[in-house]
Amino acid sequence: MVFTTQIFVFYFLPVFLLVYYNLPCGWRNVWITLASYVFYGWWEPWFTGLMLFTTVMDFLWGKVITRPGATPLQRKLAVLACVVTNLSFLGFFKYYMFAAGTLNQILAAVGARQFQVLQVTLPIGISFYTFHSLTYILDLYRGHATPAKSFSGFSAFVALFPDLVAGPIIRYKTLAEQLREREHTVPRFAAGVAIFIAGFAKKILLANPCGLVADSVFNAAGPCALDAWIGVVAYTFQIYFDFCGYSDMAVGLGRMLGFEFLKNFDAPYWSESITELWRRWHISLSSVLRDYLYIALGGNRKGEGRTYFNLAVVMLLGGLWHGAKWNFVVWGAFHGLLLAAERWRGKLSFYGALPRPGRIGLTFLLVLFSWVLFRADNLTLAVEYYQAMFGLGPTGNTAPLLAATIYTPYHLLILTVCTGLVFQPWQAHDWAMSPVTWGRTAVLVPLFVLSIMAMFAQDFNPFLYFQF
Amino acid sequence: MKRFRDPQWFLILMFLGIIGSVPLIQMVVEVRQEEGVRVFEVFHQKPTAANLRTYERSLEAANWAARASRPWIQFAQFEWLKDGGAKAAIGNEGWYFYKPGLGYLLARPERAKVASTTQDPLPAIVDFRNQLAARGIRLVVMPAPNKESVYPDRLTPRAEALHGVLAPRTQDLLDRLRAANVEVVDLFKGFSQARQAAGSASQASLYLAQDTHWSPAGVELAAKLAAGHLLELGWVRPGLVDYRGRPAPIERLGDVLRMLQVPAIERRVKPETVACVQVVRRDNGELYQEAADAEILVLGDSFMRIYQRDEPGVAGFIAYLAKELKQPVMSLVSDGGGSTLVRQELQGRPAFLKNKKVVLWEFVERDIGLGLEGWKLVLLPPPVIPNSPGRVTDPAALRQPTAPPKAN
Repeated sequence: MVFTTQIFVFYFLPVFLLVYYNLPCGWRNVWITLASYVFYGWWEPWFTGLMLFTTVMDFLWGKVITRPGATPLQRKLAVLACVVTNLSFLGFFKYYMFAAGTLNQILAAVGARQFQVLQVTLPIGISFYTFHSLTYILDLYRGHATPAKSFSGFSAFVALFPDLVAGPIIRYKTLAEQLREREHTVPRFAAGVAIFIAGFAKKILLANPCGLVADSVFNAAGPCALDAWIGVVAYTFQIYFDFCGYSDMAVGLGRMLGFEFLKNFDAPYWSESITELWRRWHISLSSVLRDYLYIALGGNRKGEGRTYFNLAVVMLLGGLWHGAKWNFVVWGAFHGLLLAAERWRGKLSFYGALPRPGRIGLTFLLVLFSWVLFRADNLTLAVEYYQAMFGLGPTGNTAPLLAATIYTPYHLLILTVCTGLVFQPWQAHDWAMSPVTWGRTAVLVPLFVLSIMAMFAQDFNPFLYFQF
Repeated sequence: MKRFRDPQWFLILMFLGIIGSVPLIQMVVEVRQEEGVRVFEVFHQKPTAANLRTYERSLEAANWAARASRPWIQFAQFEWLKDGGAKAAIGNEGWYFYKPGLGYLLARPERAKVASTTQDPLPAIVDFRNQLAARGIRLVVMPAPNKESVYPDRLTPRAEALHGVLAPRTQDLLDRLRAANVEVVDLFKGFSQARQAAGSASQASLYLAQDTHWSPAGVELAAKLAAGHLLELGWVRPGLVDYRGRPAPIERLGDVLRMLQVPAIERRVKPETVACVQVVRRDNGELYQEAADAEILVLGDSFMRIYQRDEPGVAGFIAYLAKELKQPVMSLVSDGGGSTLVRQELQGRPAFLKNKKVVLWEFVERDIGLGLEGWKLVLLPPPVIPNSPGRVTDPAALRQPTAPPKAN
């Protein structure tokens, strides 16, 4: 199910909240689990079987790791087995076709016989719930968390529908206490409603129209340089408002259920360097990669050279986590390289001497370049797109028609609003999370009505992060 | 009431009121209409992904709030922000274009390469040609150009130098059809030449300004080109029936605007006056009529239907083709189904092939990439061999060998 659909807004959510608030507290986690399985199974019912299997498995591994009397070796083996099993599932469903396809290309290049590649369906959100489970196991192993007392609590943590399919990635230790006991108050619920509406509006009113422009240009044969720039700017806005909007909705829904989730975005395009960008973009992923991968690799404790290497590895794997394509690997490498270079300069960008607007502008430009890799269907098309951006590619005779479809007053208005919203530090998330006043209510209610009406009129409503 | 004085409570109640009232009112509406409450239908079917998608779509389509508010949002976008949504692109001087057709024209050719077999027209066309050949019938295909391909200059002044554009996928298909020895009536070339010859101002438009379809002038030209091609091939000889035209002008609000389903837009835009001309017999003034024993069968989509079965009637391509060939023809038309549905209809009505020498198969250009039901292979009923009543021959044995289709 998707948050910005009628089935979720008008059927799932009201029924869920009605039952949730009429149940005794002890049953609420069970209800969250059941409803989350319905939410998740809505795409493909068999996906729920896989999630249930990994949940049971991880719950049991957790018991093994924290078993009284377990030796360090036994604990280490148990955590290793659990990590390998989880990553095997993720690897098979997400990376098998990529690996097999790459192997076939190599075989073809050396003239060897290729093999039949099995078609594997990627269960939506598998990357997110696998990471949720892994944080549980690793936190138990490190002694940062205590084992889940009940299966209902643990399964509610893994399946929790607000953050199930597109994050934010929430660690067990953050949520453990809240799963046992959490407050349901009017201010918290109202703040949840406010942030949900803000996210809903970002997705419907901004991300979707930007996506139409981006898709038109990225799918077009021979766009001219200006159109190519506008296309990638539109995608830059789309991915931000799409993902940030989804995270805001997740945070809002969490609050409606009494949970406190941390914010996942903090004005990322207002960053002055790539290092700062990664402190502001998909914060939950960055911190998970830092705590469970970068630090595990040695972080910056093993010398300068190793620090750069660790940064590059983390970003490469971060890129691969986003998708099983070479584009994502190159995208990760690009960011890894920039982070390593900034680290070498003492966490300063190469353009650190410029005035602030220049630093923000250049960081945005670098991010914009990297999004081409993210959006293009493959590396060849990404290279062609870069050529088009610099006027080096062939411009098709249909370029004026493409221009006519993207430079409509509607699209220009949306792109202008997006520009105004991203190039300033003030965030809708913070605005919505501050106490609800009459002034805010007077903005939020019409905004929700307008967003719903726009949702009714939209045929184009993808969620970019579902594939990740 | 106290709670309403607290902005937090007010926000919560408004939020819950909105998300809760829409389904409740929907249920009341459905109960009053005695249709049964749609939301409970989910419990009456197997929970498969396909069933759940169908269920979700049916809920969305029936939603009273969506039906009531969608036209207003679309009208605001159309009127103030010049955006026609997913269906329409707004051109110059009252011209409107079908957005999926425009998307087809603009798409990079690489996207076509990922298509599955049923999305590639060539195997279906070659197979159909071979099945007809087994019955002694010849096939001519006629892709009808999208309006966007013929009048790109009416979308934007920046394209004023363009008097016709061939989409990469269309060019690819035309090349592959020729390589597979499939006869094609090339309307793209014919229309482009006609536009260039006439200049930009004086010529009657070949397409309607508000519609995806061609105008009477376009119909006439297409029929002339198709008839000329058939006569040139020698597959048809001119008949003896003399037809003439009889003016029958109509007013028509274009389908691009009607597809938006926004009454306010329909009220605001003036319908187009279309100078249709019906085809009548010169000898007795009777309207043209199809003949079941005609030698030519025309298969097609709404390009065959417009003016012919729509108002004013008998002023469409089929009547004009008959006029050009001086003989009645037979036709089978499936709206939006030029790629597969029309052949499936023919499969169920084999009598349409009786006495036929030529099948002229029209499909709209955008179906090359977006055809309803894709491009499925459709097996016609086995032909009955003359002089051997009741004997059915294996069609595979009758199929002509052809070069394998080029890999897509």
